[in-house]
Amino acid sequence: MELSQEARDVVQNAKRHNRVGADEARDIDEVIGLLPDDRSQLYKNVDSNPIGDFYRYSIHIRIQHLLIFSTFLLLAFTGLPIHYHTAFWAEPFNSMLGGLEVTRVIHRTLAVTMIFAMVYHFATIGMGTLIKWRNRTFELRRTILPIWKDISDFKEDMLFFGGKRAVRPEMDKFMYKQKIHYFAAGFGNTVMVVSGSTFLFPDVWASILPVGIASHFQEMMRLSHPHEALLALLVIAFWHWYNVHLAPGRFPMQWTFLTGKITREHQIEEHFHEYLRCIVSMPEERRYLRTLMAEKKIWGTQPRE
Amino acid sequence: MFALLVGHAGPALAFEDDEACLMCHKYPKMGRIDEDGKQKSYYVMPHVFTKTVHRNVPCRDCHKEIRELPHKPLSTGVTCDSECHSIQNPSTGKPFSHKPIVDTFRKSVHGREKVATGSDADKPYCVNCHTNPLYNAKEEKPPKHIVDRCVVCHEDSGFAEKWYNHTSRRIREIKRSPQEIVEMCSACHADKGMIERRQQVAAQEGRELGRKFPIAVTSYEESFHGKVTKYGNADAANCLNCHADAVNYYLSVHELLPSRDPKSPVSSQKRVETCKQCHVRADSNYAALDPHPSSKKEDNAFKHYAELIYGIVGNSVLVALVGLAAFETWGRMRDGVSWRFREGSSWWRRTRRKSNRIP
Repeated sequence: MELSQEARDVVQNAKRHNRVGADEARDIDEVIGLLPDDRSQLYKNVDSNPIGDFYRYSIHIRIQHLLIFSTFLLLAFTGLPIHYHTAFWAEPFNSMLGGLEVTRVIHRTLAVTMIFAMVYHFATIGMGTLIKWRNRTFELRRTILPIWKDISDFKEDMLFFGGKRAVRPEMDKFMYKQKIHYFAAGFGNTVMVVSGSTFLFPDVWASILPVGIASHFQEMMRLSHPHEALLALLVIAFWHWYNVHLAPGRFPMQWTFLTGKITREHQIEEHFHEYLRCIVSMPEERRYLRTLMAEKKIWGTQPRE
Repeated sequence: MFALLVGHAGPALAFEDDEACLMCHKYPKMGRIDEDGKQKSYYVMPHVFTKTVHRNVPCRDCHKEIRELPHKPLSTGVTCDSECHSIQNPSTGKPFSHKPIVDTFRKSVHGREKVATGSDADKPYCVNCHTNPLYNAKEEKPPKHIVDRCVVCHEDSGFAEKWYNHTSRRIREIKRSPQEIVEMCSACHADKGMIERRQQVAAQEGRELGRKFPIAVTSYEESFHGKVTKYGNADAANCLNCHADAVNYYLSVHELLPSRDPKSPVSSQKRVETCKQCHVRADSNYAALDPHPSSKKEDNAFKHYAELIYGIVGNSVLVALVGLAAFETWGRMRDGVSWRFREGSSWWRRTRRKSNRIP
């Protein structure tokens, strides 16, 4: 397989980060050279463990996801009956939880738990970044931060889905969809926390804002809290659950949120740059690839020794 | 007649009917169909009336027009500012009357006469709010140990019971719940016909109505105060917490004023103090917050357009994401992926691209 410039940079950095020796580097280059030119041949023919093959998320990230999604759903279930209080289902729902006063206490407690999860998350990624920075292994392209390549990835992916391109783009650990989702969730959470605080402390917000803005700000926040909540719930229901549960190849679910691992076929298909790092850091993966390509005769057009 | 002959009809009377009004009015069928075709009942339930606040007032103290029995059809109704000749105000020794509070009410935004004409007919009269509720409906009799103590000096235990009911009701502040207050005010202020008539009258008179007048109820229901009050929270502000003066609440509810009146608790001059009743850190910025939020363009254009933009953005995002998901499904299915794992892979469907999984 002829690697793109970006992919070559990824492999080069991975070799440096893993302090790869000359012999191993040769082995890595050889295996990469053996890979089929059509990457779809690779992700269609590898064997994957549905539970996951490669490490992707730390235990901290998994705990944060658990905290965020459980509090998010419960916040929605306790918040929506408050907002849609005139709906036929709202009153029985509130009564079931012990009345509106109880629902409000549960809602606020969950909100505090979610804020804790957010702080925990920022601490985790902050510390992780610092450690990588100190070890000189930090790579911007591997982070969740958006880069220009995401736009071309999106365009190429659309061309692939439309049948105008033979293979999906080579993407890094986080693809454009995950970045959109992450920042949408981050933005949404921030909106929810700020707007929620204006419900709890309206007088404090009014006193720190100019009089011309205070009223409009309060109105915006009162508008934003339910709208953002409903939008987030629908995005989760229609898009996130589609991506991780319902999409073909992901059904019935990705186990990543529990095991922290991603399947081999998924990583090659959507996170090929991350798979290249696995090839560099895992000799057993290189051995597996050699065996696979010999068995299925799917090697590329590059000269083989 | 049969009842008169046998000397007994129905339950024993619990109040003194010295004027013998119940001779006729105790019959449930006592009534008529008036000129407008409406059924009118003149039935007085003695066992209920005896528990009302007016049980000690002889009928003719209010129904002054009646001079003889049987009486002629009455042309005027009862007004609440008449003097009760039989009941003395114990604090002044004068005949008891609601006249002072009725005079206060007349000066309020609701002020009207009993027989109202024109646009005043939409305003409430005393009985629209004062529905003469029963004394301590859940407590038929005062505790025995209290009555026993009273009758040591006040021999009539009936007096002790009435006195207890009268005073305990006020001491315990048995009054409408916040939800009942909202319901009471909404009975008129949510009436679209009434709102339109008042708007027409104001326009004819060249008078300005409050900006929130047409949406007072719906906007309150949408507000934080309205929502939590609906669900039984007694701490959140109901209509009277803001529109009546807390300093002299019971007088103030009778002299409600329009918000443009500087004496109104919701006027710009007094609003901060009103907010401070609950929100102790409230300042002029806080008092500028809208307690009757609405998204109507004519009321709040900023919120109207903000909500519109929110709706467009929210719907667009959803349509775009669902569309993307559908497009992705279609595109990836053409690539041969399936909805389940088989032999360690989900890529086992045959595709036209001749890049199928090799068995």
